[in-house]
Amino acid sequence: MDYILKLPEYEKVIKSIKETIITNIVLVGQVPAPTFFEQNRTKVILERMSELNIDECSTDSYQNPIGIIRGTRRNMPPLFLVAHIDTIFDEDVDHNYIVKEKYIAGPGILDNSAGVGILVSLPEIFKKLNLHFKSDIVLAGVVQSIGRGNLRGIRHLLRGWSSPIRGAICLEGCDLGRLNYYSNGMMRCEIICNISSKQGWENNFRPNAILVLYEVINRILKLRLPQKPQARVIFGKISGGVKHGKIALTAKLGFEIQSDSEAMVKEIYNDIRDIVSGISHERTVDLKLKTVSSTNPARLQFSHPLVKQTISVMKTLGIAPASENSESELSIFLANDIPAVTLGMSKGDNYHLENGSLEIEPIFTGIAQVIGVLLALDSGECDG
Amino acid sequence: MGNNAWIKKNTFHFSDFKDLNYLVREKKRKNLTISLCLPTLNEEETIAKEIVIFRSELVLRYPLIDEIVVIDSGSTDKTREVAKAFGASVYIADEILPDLEKQKGKGENLWKALYVTSGDIIIYIDADIKNIHHRFAYALVGPLLLYDNIKYVKAFYERPIAGRRKTRPTGGGRVTELVVRPFFSLFFPEMAQIIQPLSGEYAGFRKIFEEIPFPIGYGVETSMLLDICEKWGLDVIAQVDLEKRVHRNQDTKALGRMSFAIINTFVDRLEKLGVIKTQKKLLTKMIQYKIINNEYRPDIFDIKKLERPPIIDIPEYCKKFNIDQGTKKND
Repeated sequence: MDYILKLPEYEKVIKSIKETIITNIVLVGQVPAPTFFEQNRTKVILERMSELNIDECSTDSYQNPIGIIRGTRRNMPPLFLVAHIDTIFDEDVDHNYIVKEKYIAGPGILDNSAGVGILVSLPEIFKKLNLHFKSDIVLAGVVQSIGRGNLRGIRHLLRGWSSPIRGAICLEGCDLGRLNYYSNGMMRCEIICNISSKQGWENNFRPNAILVLYEVINRILKLRLPQKPQARVIFGKISGGVKHGKIALTAKLGFEIQSDSEAMVKEIYNDIRDIVSGISHERTVDLKLKTVSSTNPARLQFSHPLVKQTISVMKTLGIAPASENSESELSIFLANDIPAVTLGMSKGDNYHLENGSLEIEPIFTGIAQVIGVLLALDSGECDG
Repeated sequence: MGNNAWIKKNTFHFSDFKDLNYLVREKKRKNLTISLCLPTLNEEETIAKEIVIFRSELVLRYPLIDEIVVIDSGSTDKTREVAKAFGASVYIADEILPDLEKQKGKGENLWKALYVTSGDIIIYIDADIKNIHHRFAYALVGPLLLYDNIKYVKAFYERPIAGRRKTRPTGGGRVTELVVRPFFSLFFPEMAQIIQPLSGEYAGFRKIFEEIPFPIGYGVETSMLLDICEKWGLDVIAQVDLEKRVHRNQDTKALGRMSFAIINTFVDRLEKLGVIKTQKKLLTKMIQYKIINNEYRPDIFDIKKLERPPIIDIPEYCKKFNIDQGTKKND
């Protein structure tokens, strides 16, 4: 537990190389990395990691950039630190980052360029803190995580990893205080409505794709969802039509079914599939339900030593922990029975906007907490 | 003419100098110091990023640069505060050599930087580069450290223009192609091998910079090339491909004013070299037009051809650097 007492001192040392941390966030963040098109960012991450002379640095067959720092004990399973490298911003968005006295701003900084920049900075930070670990430390940027990516990068990485994994920490740009250790079952779906665009009087009074989706939403809202197991349907995205005075011939709805019960997710999905089939039949429209991605529910108990140690580390650094479910890399670790948590690195604004901004000062506390949890994992205190 | 012997011999790519440990060793072996100068005027949006990246990579991780100096023309935004907060030495141009008549312009800042910096090599980098990377500095000093014949290095790159939302892949370099290259082709064809004569990023030995005059405005890049080439020959110059530089786009009228100053510099140097002789003194006003209430009104800019002399002719400079003004040699 000695390391807990050292954390405030570590925080100061980490701050002393703030230029390197900011540089890594900026150099990584300025390379566009929309999901499925992360190659250029992968290259920069590998360049940065190889400059730091870490023991191994390469990509796996899925182009996940991976760096390994060899541990002092040969047979000890590795510890993973991961950050997803894809963002929601297209390549043609200007990815210029601005650095001001108190913050860094630019597209994708919070989700998740800051997490990646910090991941890349860790070898330098370990060196500065003179830290050596018993386990191998695997630093992994993972591709194809968000949206349609369906966490393919992390799924592939873990599938291909032959030896057991001792534990993992997932890094996210914000918010400092975030402590995720459970993930709901989730099914991410799209409903797409297409109306025939044939010309002729018989097609003059065609249904409106937006109104069709409106009907679908209303019927889903009428579903009775239980409180136990907890379940909900979140409508997150909608788009459709071409211009104000034209009947919309296409429309798309994106939503997630979330529950802590896998069976409940499937049950709600079946109900929605029936709604979609019914409306498609009754209104004679082309209405399709597609599953974009899914995860199974998994969790650590609050009493798990990793959760307890993480809370202890956070409290030592004056961070108030806040927990909710998270359907990210975490869920894949947990589903593979690997103890893992997700931690936020700093505070920020405009989460998914082009002018997203990350406060500089809390970053050092955020990194100190990662070091604390990593030391806890390495010491064996979290081996449940 | 088509002679491209120089371009083959003296053109490099930044990746040729990627081994920063080697550059640091060579710098130490040759007992050299290096100063980085960033001239600024209202660069609050970009200055911190430049300083942070250069400090991280070329001061802290690889001790290649010994000092980072910002010379400011009197910014009204927070340029100076931000630069100081990230560890740069910040000077207001007017406060350097205060007994001299005050002038405003990028060339003035570069010239005065010679007085406040101490490096044997000086790197000049514009402070408005959006995609700044430490290669912008190490690639410029690389040829100076590794090739004894090279005394001055100029950058060239692809120049996409950053718009409000999107970055356009081509553009920029209009003044180069429409003004400078035709002049080079007409009078100094061997210099047409310099791909981007107006690039704002260059590095050289102090010994070179202190012996040439500096126009205070836009003509500084052109005059520097012409003077170095005339005094020491093209072979002391090298150019380095930095691949991509994203910068702010300037409107055509601003480029017109820039061209005015550059043409003025060209004519001046051509006269001094006895290549041409003008029958009357060149005027100093650039006349442009704008439409106000359906009426064409002149927009007149006074762009005087002001030039600072070689700084080695300034007694304060010689005193500071222990140079005997009579022999112009270090004591």
